[in-house]
Amino acid sequence: MNTFDNDNHAADDSGGTSDAADDELLDELRAVVSRVDPVSPEMLAAARSGFIWRTIDAELAQLTSDSVLDADRMAAVRGASTPVLLTFESAGLTVEVETTKGVDGARLLGQLVPAQRGRVEIRHGGGTTTVDADDLGRFTAGGIQPGPVSLSCRTEAGALQVDTDWFLV
Amino acid sequence: MSPPTDGEITALVLAARDGDAAAWDALVDLLSPRTRAVIRSFRLNQADTDDVFQLTWLRLVSNLDRLREPGRVGSWLATTASHECLRLLRKAGRQAPGDDGWEDDLVDNGRDVDDGLLVSERDRALWQAMGMLSAPCQRLLRLLAADPAPSYLEVAEVLTMPIGSIGPTRSRCLDHLRTHFTRITAGPEGSSR
Repeated sequence: MNTFDNDNHAADDSGGTSDAADDELLDELRAVVSRVDPVSPEMLAAARSGFIWRTIDAELAQLTSDSVLDADRMAAVRGASTPVLLTFESAGLTVEVETTKGVDGARLLGQLVPAQRGRVEIRHGGGTTTVDADDLGRFTAGGIQPGPVSLSCRTEAGALQVDTDWFLV
Repeated sequence: MSPPTDGEITALVLAARDGDAAAWDALVDLLSPRTRAVIRSFRLNQADTDDVFQLTWLRLVSNLDRLREPGRVGSWLATTASHECLRLLRKAGRQAPGDDGWEDDLVDNGRDVDDGLLVSERDRALWQAMGMLSAPCQRLLRLLAADPAPSYLEVAEVLTMPIGSIGPTRSRCLDHLRTHFTRITAGPEGSSR
């Protein structure tokens, strides 16, 4: 371990030798991290394949309200079974979603605002689940695989397509 | 891997915006290690770590056209990932870094690590030494050890540290790492040096 023996004062100053020793140690750490805790091929593949969801013709509804963060402010009781309420807004449509963890995946309870009929395509790790929103804009779906989810909503009247940003269920 | 320049990153983002899947893949390859390093520093379990990682990249897909500074997409990814990690910690009622009660010591870096992956005693000792550092040191070193490494500017943004303090803190943390490492490798008697 000769390399490190003379370096007890390495942090004191930016002398040339201690800088070199620091770089060397960090390089060694980099090599260990890449061996021990690399980005798995599966995760790389998942990130790469996400590009297929890129759409240029849909409007993006951005997350504007999240009960997890609100609840934190109010110091409310929370836990894994507490429903999460999310609101996504775009110029033409607002989408409200409540998610609850179930035994066979998450359950979604949603609402299009303004209330209107439409079709909602739920994209999740288990594939795509399509449900209809009723006259009041309400929709429900179960068995949603935990992980990233996005809702692609097409209104019946205006044929407007709005995709919510991705969120975790 | 040598760190990519902002110009190279910008070119990849602009190409991906135009629908170039190869440019997207290149972005993923370049920025995944540091994005994962950020998520790892929050000590989520494996499933949550993977979920946040995937979510972060999907958010980039949907927000690709909205990035104001394409060259700083690395920071954007890190911020997005950090935000979601904090959200998951809050949701589970757990402490976050900086909160009172966040255990600052003995972060178990190698919780999910198969010891068989550590090819040498030296690797093992270094990894063990890493686990003995304070959480802030681990966060900083994990980020700096990503391959390719993020810029100091990006590190400063992610860790909300003044950019000028990164160099000195890096030195200090590496010093601690070296001390632990030396102690571990000195063997069971431990006091030989």
